[in-house]
Amino acid sequence: MKSIISAIVATTVLVSTASAQEDKVFRVWWFEDQGNAADLAWSKALDEFKSKHPDVEVHFERKSWDQLVTAGTMVLNSDSTPDLLEYPGGNASTGLAASSGLLEDLDPVAEERGWTKALNPAQLMFGRYDERGLFGSGPLVGIPNGAEFVTVFYNKDMFAQNGIEVPKTFEDFEKVLDAFAQNGVTPIATAANDYPALHVWYELALAKSDRKWLDQFHGLKAPLDSTPFLEASKKLQDWVTKGYISKDSTGLTASDMVGLFEAGKSPMVVTGTWYATEFNTKITTFKWGQFLFPGNTIHPASTGGLWVVPKTAKNKTLAYDFIDITLSNENQKALADGGGVALIAKAEDISNPTGAELTKTASDIVAANGLGYYPDQPFPGYYEIIRTKVQALVGGTISPEDAVDEMKQAYDDAQSDAH
Amino acid sequence: MEAAKPSSYLLYILPSAIGFVGIIIIPFILNIAASFTQWRGVGIPKFIGLANYARLLKDELVWEGFYHSLIFILSMAVIPTILGLILAALLFDYVAARFGKTTASFFRAGFYLPQILPLAVAGVLWGWIFSPIGVLNTTLKAWGLDFLARNWLGDPGTAMLCVMFVMVWLQLGYSLVIFMSGLARVDPALYEAAELDGATWFERFRYITVHMLKPELFVVGLTTTIAALNVFAPVFVLTKGGPNNATTVPSLLAYYHFFTTNRVGYGATITTMQTALTMLLAYVFVRLQSRDQ
Repeated sequence: MKSIISAIVATTVLVSTASAQEDKVFRVWWFEDQGNAADLAWSKALDEFKSKHPDVEVHFERKSWDQLVTAGTMVLNSDSTPDLLEYPGGNASTGLAASSGLLEDLDPVAEERGWTKALNPAQLMFGRYDERGLFGSGPLVGIPNGAEFVTVFYNKDMFAQNGIEVPKTFEDFEKVLDAFAQNGVTPIATAANDYPALHVWYELALAKSDRKWLDQFHGLKAPLDSTPFLEASKKLQDWVTKGYISKDSTGLTASDMVGLFEAGKSPMVVTGTWYATEFNTKITTFKWGQFLFPGNTIHPASTGGLWVVPKTAKNKTLAYDFIDITLSNENQKALADGGGVALIAKAEDISNPTGAELTKTASDIVAANGLGYYPDQPFPGYYEIIRTKVQALVGGTISPEDAVDEMKQAYDDAQSDAH
Repeated sequence: MEAAKPSSYLLYILPSAIGFVGIIIIPFILNIAASFTQWRGVGIPKFIGLANYARLLKDELVWEGFYHSLIFILSMAVIPTILGLILAALLFDYVAARFGKTTASFFRAGFYLPQILPLAVAGVLWGWIFSPIGVLNTTLKAWGLDFLARNWLGDPGTAMLCVMFVMVWLQLGYSLVIFMSGLARVDPALYEAAELDGATWFERFRYITVHMLKPELFVVGLTTTIAALNVFAPVFVLTKGGPNNATTVPSLLAYYHFFTTNRVGYGATITTMQTALTMLLAYVFVRLQSRDQ
């Protein structure tokens, strides 16, 4: 009996020492690839955090976007949550976590620490989720930590060699594609066994839609009006037939696509600004640039990932201190200087021309009310459905009508579930 | 000496029994319970009766997945077992006799290698080989065989064949090693006697090897069939069930609903159904085996 009591006492002592030490530990996760602009900026922020909190032990873990999309809510629902983590934005992920009561409401602290002044309402909109998990209104559960958009990266040398100018309209864009195809070059490298082809398809859908359609689509407000999707699906198959994108892309991944562009095999890729840092460092044999998808006023774009604080986080104040640093002018400038897209920095302060150009473009998109978000964001699981249908469209194994029917059916199911 | 009472053995089963109950039985019962609910993985599950099962019956994708399971039985159980048996006999009778045991061991180890290679690594390697700009197509083109180059994993017509090929590559070593160890147990006098009676190699294989290896055949057949019905990792790393669900299997769909759509109740329904089918098949196998004995 005595030994049992002493064991209990010993355990209690151990537990209480552990919890005393817990106060001095800050756990943070993010899913940025090592060495990209955001990773560099936040590593710098973490250094600053350490110098401001010399008594705090910092534990950083790198997660993957896939990991958080698939198992994020389970992690947030466990007792091993970090104090702060970068989380994928959108109804399907942050919305689900927020509506399940797993995330801290950051409204009061955002007000108190001036985040609501540093970021404008349009930028904060993506961090707000209502009780059904739909973004746009409700408590602020996520603080945007950067910006991103899908754009057309192009090989300036290949354009010049073929006497081709940067297109301004959709019609001109198709002429450019045709000119390259006539020369036996696949103008757009893409990957349909991964997310990039989905971005091309969504750009084509945005070309046939407007703000009203988009708000309905992302807000799950009504059964899907699938006209833009049908138009996009037809156009996508047309582009495959004309050789503007390769049928082989159904077997390629994003890194294969990037490899084709970096090797100068294809003059263009339609992809996100998250590749800008890699292009900056890896492309040495030609000059490259970017232009927004011609003719579109709305673009696949959002305010990057979100900083979220789990309800069960042990050291919320440390999490807020870290967010403070990442939203500082200095750290936002560091983000853009690394070739990333900043939310706050002024373009003229940024030393890296790519970062300056992308940051300016991103703020132009926001100013023009052109944030189109991503097509998979309305509800959990839509990503896989759209990705597989777009893959089949590129492969020519499904008709545009059938593909869109399946997309509509899944959407309408989720829409009726949400209401 | 007095024989021990059966109850005295129970103590020895206890450690495994605790593990079995904790890791298999309790989660299995919870899984069945979850299949009657609508649940997003967090919060309180809502009881919905048999609605998930009704949905399952109408879900064409799930049935397509079960159909693919049959194809996986072919590529993970049937082909590797037959091929493994023939290769084991060849290595044992011919290679070992003619070139020595070391050579036979070398081949056995070679065929077994895929089994010890981490699946994620093997998946990435095969992905590189089968990529449209990968090793296989590049080699074919270098040999002037351009017409044979395919979009191996991106085309629904070839994706399943490629996954099947990888499965055979993966499973062959397992059956081969078991059959070879089984052959070591067979009395060589049987072969000698048959040879003296004028039996050909094939007759000896048919009447001695296959017959004597029946216990191994049952074990290999059962374990690989169960593995085929539950296959997940190789398909996940190679194709994620694509293109357009051409290689999808029930485990992958369950995973999709558990973790992606967060329809945990429905995911549990798929796994319950899958477990029921697997148990049924295992029962048939065990019955056949005991009847044979």
